[in-house]
Amino acid sequence: MPESTLESFERTILPLLDDAYSLARHLVRDEHDAQDIVQEAYLRAWRHYAAFRGDDARPWLLTIVRNCSYTWHHSSRRRDTIEYVDEEHGGGFGLQRPTDADAIESSDRSELQQALDQLAPEFRETLVLRELQDLSYKEIARVTGAPIGTVMSRLARARRHLQQALGIGAGERR
Amino acid sequence: MTSEHVRDELSAYVDGELPPGRAMEIADHLTSCAECASDYAAMLATVRTVRAEITHHRAPDVLRARIRTSLREEAREEPRDTVRRVAPGRVRRWRIPWNAVAAAMLLVVASSGITMVAASRRASDASVAEEVLSSHIRSLMPEHLTDVRSSDQHNVKPWFNGRLDFSPTVPRLEEQGFPLLGGRIDYVQGRPVAVVVYGRRQHVINVFSWPASQAGAARPALRTRNGYNLEHWRQGAGEYWAVSDLNSAELRTFATLLRRADSASAAPSRYAP
Repeated sequence: MPESTLESFERTILPLLDDAYSLARHLVRDEHDAQDIVQEAYLRAWRHYAAFRGDDARPWLLTIVRNCSYTWHHSSRRRDTIEYVDEEHGGGFGLQRPTDADAIESSDRSELQQALDQLAPEFRETLVLRELQDLSYKEIARVTGAPIGTVMSRLARARRHLQQALGIGAGERR
Repeated sequence: MTSEHVRDELSAYVDGELPPGRAMEIADHLTSCAECASDYAAMLATVRTVRAEITHHRAPDVLRARIRTSLREEAREEPRDTVRRVAPGRVRRWRIPWNAVAAAMLLVVASSGITMVAASRRASDASVAEEVLSSHIRSLMPEHLTDVRSSDQHNVKPWFNGRLDFSPTVPRLEEQGFPLLGGRIDYVQGRPVAVVVYGRRQHVINVFSWPASQAGAARPALRTRNGYNLEHWRQGAGEYWAVSDLNSAELRTFATLLRRADSASAAPSRYAP
């Protein structure tokens, strides 16, 4: 029996769920928002699956997730998220939200996470697409809609910021 | 070439994203300029640290299930832009894939080698599996898992009395790592069935049972569908399906424990305290 469209979608796009969710989590931080965004993104991906030409599925899906994240951010469906206050959550040990399964894995918000949170969205997304998703500059340009030169300079600036925040001096640490 | 220019490009140099000629120039420069070399080392250390420590979030199973369900709903819709929501309420009507069943039957008639009975049984097993899986996935949505939520078998078991014309077995398997979560009534093949819900780490196991329409025991048989595992067996007078996204080995262990507990309790004292 030939493969149905749904089967083909489930074979190629569904396995990318962790990547999609990870990107959403880094863009919006709140786990429930991230779940809603990813679900929305998958529905959109499904509706536009006919237009997907079978080239690299990951950048294609991540583009949709990224766009959904921004739409979500500007829409009223967004939950009233509690913004993290660095002083409050960075050092306080009893303040972890128990609903966050990831809090169990990494018992505290890491130094790196705090540094990432300080980045403006366009810098953070570029960095996450590169370091977490391992996309090429060309793919990042495609996902974010920015020229390659902009990708390059955003990444350089984001890394400089993290370098300082993590206290990595020239020739020191690690 | 000035050091300032080089510093701007070290990030892209680390990624191997510079044109080959330019990358060579920078490589040469790094051998002669100590300041840029130490800048490069720091950039490299930063990239390594970030890559090692950045959180890879794993999508929760519930999200996976939610997406599968909504995709299925969407795929069924003919005009794709009309959005149908899952009907609220506990009692849900089931769509039996009659056309699939009919097609299977037709195939049977056409191929004379296979007996009618065996093939229709297989087709109906497949459609039961499909319904059981849909029910499992639906149960993972918020507030759908249990009608009676309790880790105590003496709460769960009596709850079914009067709601069903049979009594499912509800053994305690907590010590073996499968805590009881509760129970609910669902519908499979148009009849109410008992669903006893167990947990395993973050996984949910739904055990469906109803009186068997065929005589004779059947050993557990594993099916895998869309990443879910289903164990199906027949024991005593009951038909059982256990469904989970748990790996097949652990689900088999669970099914074995359940069958053992079942055969131990079923015979002498059904309503023993």
